[in-house]
Amino acid sequence: MTAHEPTSRLFKENVKAAMADPNLQKAMKNAGEGFVGKRRAAAGGVPEFDQIRDAARDLKNHVLGHLDLYLARYEEKVTAAGGHVHWAETAEDMRRIVLDICRSVDAKTVNKGKTMISEEAGINGWLEENGIRPVETDLGEYIIQLRGEAPSHIIAPAIHVTSDEVEALFRERHTHLPADRNLSELSSMLSEARTILRQKYFEAEVGITGANMLIAETGQSIIVTNEGNGDLSQSLPKVHIVLASLEKIVPTMEDAATVLRVLARSATGQDMSVYTTLSSGPRRAEDPDGPEQYHVILLDNGRTEMVGTEFQEMLRCIRCGACMNHCPVYQAVGGHAYGWVYPGPMGAVLTPSLIGVEEGGMLPNASTFCGRCEAVCPMRIPLPKMMRHWREREFERNLSPKAARYGLKFWAAFAERPALYRLATRAAIFALGLMGRKRGRFAKLPLAGGWTAQRDFPAPEGGTFMAAWARAQKVKGAR
Amino acid sequence: MSRKPRVALFVTCLVDMFRPSVGFASVALLTEAGCEVEVPPTQTCCGQPAYNSGDRETAKRLARSVIAAFEGYDYVVGPSGSCMGTLVKDYPAMFEGEPAWAARARALAAKSHEITSFLVDVMGFTPTDMKFAGSVTYHDSCSGLRGLGVQAQPRKLLGAVEGLALKEMKDADVCCGFGGTFCVKYPDISAKMAGDKTANIAATGAGTILAGDLGCLMNMAGKLSREGRPVKARHVVEVLAGMADGPAIGEARE
Amino acid sequence: MSARDRILARLASRLATGADREAAVSARLAGERPDTPRPMQSRTTPEERVEAFIARAVKADATASLIGSMADLPAALADELRRRNLGPSVRAGSDPALAALDWGGVEVSRGVGRIEEPATLSVAPYGLAETGSLAFCSGPENPVTLTFLGETHFAVVRAGDIHAGFEELFAAHRASGRDPRTLNFVTGPSRSADIGQTLQLGAHGPVALHIFVVGE
Repeated sequence: MTAHEPTSRLFKENVKAAMADPNLQKAMKNAGEGFVGKRRAAAGGVPEFDQIRDAARDLKNHVLGHLDLYLARYEEKVTAAGGHVHWAETAEDMRRIVLDICRSVDAKTVNKGKTMISEEAGINGWLEENGIRPVETDLGEYIIQLRGEAPSHIIAPAIHVTSDEVEALFRERHTHLPADRNLSELSSMLSEARTILRQKYFEAEVGITGANMLIAETGQSIIVTNEGNGDLSQSLPKVHIVLASLEKIVPTMEDAATVLRVLARSATGQDMSVYTTLSSGPRRAEDPDGPEQYHVILLDNGRTEMVGTEFQEMLRCIRCGACMNHCPVYQAVGGHAYGWVYPGPMGAVLTPSLIGVEEGGMLPNASTFCGRCEAVCPMRIPLPKMMRHWREREFERNLSPKAARYGLKFWAAFAERPALYRLATRAAIFALGLMGRKRGRFAKLPLAGGWTAQRDFPAPEGGTFMAAWARAQKVKGAR
Repeated sequence: MSRKPRVALFVTCLVDMFRPSVGFASVALLTEAGCEVEVPPTQTCCGQPAYNSGDRETAKRLARSVIAAFEGYDYVVGPSGSCMGTLVKDYPAMFEGEPAWAARARALAAKSHEITSFLVDVMGFTPTDMKFAGSVTYHDSCSGLRGLGVQAQPRKLLGAVEGLALKEMKDADVCCGFGGTFCVKYPDISAKMAGDKTANIAATGAGTILAGDLGCLMNMAGKLSREGRPVKARHVVEVLAGMADGPAIGEARE
Repeated sequence: MSARDRILARLASRLATGADREAAVSARLAGERPDTPRPMQSRTTPEERVEAFIARAVKADATASLIGSMADLPAALADELRRRNLGPSVRAGSDPALAALDWGGVEVSRGVGRIEEPATLSVAPYGLAETGSLAFCSGPENPVTLTFLGETHFAVVRAGDIHAGFEELFAAHRASGRDPRTLNFVTGPSRSADIGQTLQLGAHGPVALHIFVVGE
């Protein structure tokens, strides 16, 4: 298996499992509230925050409108700095290019900073199949790699894991350490992981990182981290490979600053993440450290097909995670339920775009359209609108569930004929009103099992407003 | 304005079928605020369920009939941020590329309002001599809050009600889990969200939960009664119109 | 056709055409930029800049002290090492500003970061008052690995090199002619919240960051 096989079409089953998992529910409860409060405070601390969001949106729209040209300019700059740009149309292309580079230096171990593109392209499984050991160095990624899992959040990959589970995991997997060591403190677990990974940094021949942005002006790639692992991963090995999707371009360093000003505040509530690194090319002739080779692999994997469509705006996404941090659906079920690489509202839009609506079509339906994601998105991506666009495509292609389609048709047939609608609603409400009169609510109701399994259904007061109003007007007229 | 503004009440399907008293409370409030209220008889549904289910054509057919039915008034007002959000936000977007209808949709959108924001922002209305003995907490329904900016207005109106104590809940601005067809498509997630909401409601100790959307209210009321929590649920206009003495949502009538 | 050409052709076919697109890109890359809003906190005056820089760095869990001149650095560093129960030695690069100093009792070893580095010392060519960040340039003078491998990282920045916002800092960087492999912005010591969603300092990088602000 080279990539985590998508299970997005099993969303409903995934949800059931997630809601029945006490550890997951406990971990999500701990995590969710922190992000929301921190983002609110950070955004509130900058009076110009919303104007900067507008500028970030406009900036990215400009880039997307000129993406072919900016990519060509970016490539020139990388090449001039002594780096190499590789173009991958598909995940498979990216895997092949990564392997070729690794083999060219006879790599046994590859260190990895956090990269979602690696998840999308299934790099870890592919390297393992080919006898190369990928080592995730971001602490959260390290934890889930030990657990054999995919990340459940784009910036906090192990958000679904409790500290008790981490302790058990370290005891099970770090067998070279004394079994009776004390891991009761979080700091002792951190220190254990730090020591183990510190060794790994010096062993790997290749370091892979993602890229938060690519700067066309300078050919620099940017990573934004808090741990410092991405920098150790790119500075110590002989080869640095950057995995990036091709919409990550910004024109200049100042444009990168505009994005940085909204990125960390939206993600973790920091003014600035601890490490923001702009890298270009391999180490310079006089440099005592840094990689000897610098490669950037640009991934398309369906993104160019989004350009010019109603989903183009999704390509503004800077992967801050604010949408999922504020999504009540994500908070209820966690990231794994979404079944592929990208969870939450951004995943609900991106997944069908990248792996097809047949596989990912459930996700844009799993939203109340509460709009909290759009309200906090630093790039002002209209996420609910785009989820609706997916529902429209599903409807057009007859992919939405039969029961829902028939129900909707049946209801619309009445709603489009006011006179018939008046009669039908009166009759239905009369019946429902009689049935529910005594208790005022239903604990069970035919065809509404989903609702009444966990809550009552309030009974109607009796009679429709329109009928009562018409009667009242008549009385008034008679007077 | 020398003459009274002519206001068309957009009743909404849920009020029409489940809680006519909210319609009468709306009429009473609008009249009190100095409006001439009419109820266009051919109205049915704004089309949001179709629109949000991806059935754009059905939604547009319904939208056209709403636009036609409500065009002749000074204002269109409804007791729902969700339905009014559809008129204000979605109709103009729906008819992009059809200039004639888009113009009519924009014109309708420009004069359409959720009721509490209409009373405060347009009519400058403050309830007088209104009393309510007890504490309430207020849930901000999503479409009204984030789509139309309804947040301060209902609180301002409630502030003028004598005897009423507003106890704000934690996460008042977080979705209750109703979400229209969502509550049927994803009942487990919906119920979990409703449970989080009712816990926050109960934690305030308020005797009544108020909101501006009947869908959310039926969801919260249903969860509260299933959990055996003695909190009444009412539409905010019932309290504002002094019509909060009948059975609350989901309460027995006999 | 190569993958590159196919990708670029796909984009071009989906985007508007016209000669002005190329001109727009060239202008933008030459520095023509629409008026872009920036945070108030990126507009400190020279008088308030050092204080704002230190306040924001401290907010990001760094510590900082002011020294009068570079000549005061050895003694100040010796004090800090003692206060932190660290031995009197530090790892640094070949920065001429450091090489010129009389280090007295502090042993300064030169070179890149090694697997165990209790204390490292780097000179930051820029500070950023907007966020309390330092910006380092990789190279022999200040090897990049010193920034990440030191258990405690000591950094030196001249008050006059602290810029109000990104705009001023990048302008200074371009004007300097420096072309390092990495430009590293550092805002406080490393951290992680990946275990139990509880923030802890000292993930892979330094557990502590101390900044000496020199001059004025």
